[in-house]
Amino acid sequence: MQATRTGARRRWRGIAALVAALGVAIALAACGSSKSSSTSLTSTSGSSGSPGAGKPAITIGDKNFGEEYILGDLYAQALEAKGYSVKLKENIGSSELIYKALTSGQIDFYPEYTGTLLSAVAEQSKEPTSEKGAYEEAKAFVEKHGFTLLNYTPFYDSDALATLPAYAEQNKLASIEDLKPLGKKVTVGGPAEFATRFEGLKGLKSLYGVVPTFKPFSIELGYKALEGKESDVQVVFSTDGQLLGGKFKVLADPKHVFGFQNVAPVLKKSLLTEEGPAFEETVNKVSALLTTQAMQQMNKAVTLEKQSPAAVAKEFLKANGLV
Amino acid sequence: MSDFGDAFRFIVHNGAVPGNPGLPSLVHLALETLKVGAIGVAISLVLAAPLGIWLGHVHRGSFFAINVGNVGRALPSLAVLAIGDAFLGLGLGVVELALVVLAFAPIVTNAYLGIVEVDPELVDAARGMGMGEMEILRRVELPLAIPLIFAGIRTASLFVISTTTIASLAGFSGTLGDVIANETSYHFSGVLGAAICVAALALGVEGLLALLQRAVTPRGVLLESAGYGAMTEAIVGQG
Amino acid sequence: MLHLAASGPVIPNFSAHSSSCAVHNRLLCWDWLKANWGLVLWPALRQHVVLTLIAVGIGFAISMTLALYAHRHRWAERPVMLFTTFLYTIPSLALFELLVAPVGQNVFAAEIALVSYTLLILFRNILTGLRSVPGEVLEAAEGMGMTPRQTLLRIELPLALPAIVAGLRIAVVTIIALATIVYTIYDRGLGVPIHQALGEGPFKTELLAAGGMAILLALLADGLLVGLQRALTPWARMRSAA
Repeated sequence: MQATRTGARRRWRGIAALVAALGVAIALAACGSSKSSSTSLTSTSGSSGSPGAGKPAITIGDKNFGEEYILGDLYAQALEAKGYSVKLKENIGSSELIYKALTSGQIDFYPEYTGTLLSAVAEQSKEPTSEKGAYEEAKAFVEKHGFTLLNYTPFYDSDALATLPAYAEQNKLASIEDLKPLGKKVTVGGPAEFATRFEGLKGLKSLYGVVPTFKPFSIELGYKALEGKESDVQVVFSTDGQLLGGKFKVLADPKHVFGFQNVAPVLKKSLLTEEGPAFEETVNKVSALLTTQAMQQMNKAVTLEKQSPAAVAKEFLKANGLV
Repeated sequence: MSDFGDAFRFIVHNGAVPGNPGLPSLVHLALETLKVGAIGVAISLVLAAPLGIWLGHVHRGSFFAINVGNVGRALPSLAVLAIGDAFLGLGLGVVELALVVLAFAPIVTNAYLGIVEVDPELVDAARGMGMGEMEILRRVELPLAIPLIFAGIRTASLFVISTTTIASLAGFSGTLGDVIANETSYHFSGVLGAAICVAALALGVEGLLALLQRAVTPRGVLLESAGYGAMTEAIVGQG
Repeated sequence: MLHLAASGPVIPNFSAHSSSCAVHNRLLCWDWLKANWGLVLWPALRQHVVLTLIAVGIGFAISMTLALYAHRHRWAERPVMLFTTFLYTIPSLALFELLVAPVGQNVFAAEIALVSYTLLILFRNILTGLRSVPGEVLEAAEGMGMTPRQTLLRIELPLALPAIVAGLRIAVVTIIALATIVYTIYDRGLGVPIHQALGEGPFKTELLAAGGMAILLALLADGLLVGLQRALTPWARMRSAA
């Protein structure tokens, strides 16, 4: 009995230690789990004052690919530098999921592409005719549901057709209409949906009279396929980092078959009044800086040079005095 | 819950997504998933079961038999598959290798335990009656070990189906996991639909194996052990 | 409308910070690791541990409650076992997505799924442990005048400890492995850098670092809990040499 009692005591001490450890861990979790990704980055001795101090917290979301991560970080860090309390939820998913997150209140703000908003969310099939037109239509749509758009960026990231410079020279290709005489001889590679979309084979045929041979490829493999000569032309994104440096040539799209995809932040209308004028001003300031060159350089740094989107965003904002 | 409505519509349409032709059908993906998994379990069974059974029969190698289970269970499959993808490329061979390694552990551990735990008095009695080693194995030890051996197979099958779907995250294509990993093409309705199919598949396989176990277990053994209890002994392992 | 400075934005030279080792995708780029440890790898590791501890903590609380109940009311065992087995059988990727529909893409969906996977293991082990107390010991306790509560606290639970800790060990290791998939619905955990690395090539350094940490974390946890198991039960000769 003696042995059992001391044995029992030792065991209870052990159990107590286990429970205590679990408790401490859970406490740490509760305190430290909020991932405001920029707290370690933004300099508190920052820019002009803190108009954001004391205002309600903003939850920003971004989609599931590199450029969106950069955009999310850009807006989040710029706002934090102004004293706003920001929560960044990354990698939420495609347009469908992230718009759902917005309408269900899980996020308040996310950067969206105007064309995608119209086609994927508003499910409109009519093609807008200009950057501004696309923006106004998208804005009109979201305002019906209690949201709004802030200013759109100078850059747009739509699909584009890229090819090797040698191939372009050989066939005298400068714009997409130059593909028409090649007919089925030219192989275009792209994602499966390209075959049925208007911003795809359908549009190429009706707007340019281009009817190529189509080979399905996932978009990430596009540049490899071009280099390996598995296709002559590939569907790529117009702000890809790979497009810098002249290794690939992008064919001009004068008739805008690939639509307009400027980025504009979608957000709850109430945010504008809740957060004060500095909020809108800061966001618009960031958007104004985002040219095609700037995005391409940032995409290159993240995708090709393996830098983290947060670090790249910080460097860009710093160079432009926003952080 | 309109999401589930959309998901069921996706399933009923055999995985067709409007505006996206050329996607493989749900049935095809499901069959591929089963095929890939079955190959893994089969190969593992052929390698692991005899080993475990023999070690149990001769009462040796307990350290190995039980700890290989621990290590196997400890390896996060996504990490292993991802590293495999980086260095070997993720073809069917590499995925099957990962599956075989994963399935090996529960099968060998449970085969070993099943045999080792047979009442030694029964084995002695059989020896006393003049039975040879193989005969003892066949007529005494194996029938009594069936619940645990099957438990091992069931656990292995579960791990394998799970890992096969995870392989799609690492870049292996052809199974139901593809849909779940590709929300951009399939939309959430597709992802949810595929998730329902995967869950149904796993539960179906588990149910089938449970029935099979019951069919193969000798009546005397059946009366002693609870059906599901046998399955979870595998997970508990050695207390 | 837009007011662009005539010269456009200042675009810093990002290449100045890039690691040429990473650009060429060599095996282990220490400069990349150093630059990105605080930003990418350490947060992921920390989140991973937190996800695991919360799941096992909650799972343990639920399983203990259910096991104590089923210990006194035998009829309860079967339905609990069936339900927890059902949950355990659903492949993790599927369960995560199934929960997203009602719950949303957040910590709750992730934790509900992870907790579900601990229940079968912990419930079964705790119950087995409690049941393994020899009848004579219980009779002796009753003979000594102990109340059921005293018996539980002083005899049954301590003697059940080996099984309970074994269950915790399996649960922790299982959840560490499953938490690598959480990123599909909630961007936390070591799955995040693994996924990122897979999409870039794959990017070997990040993959090895994140994947390696996940594997090491599991093995470390397993080892620590084996040690705890042994420390708590020095008198018991485990059948397994583990």
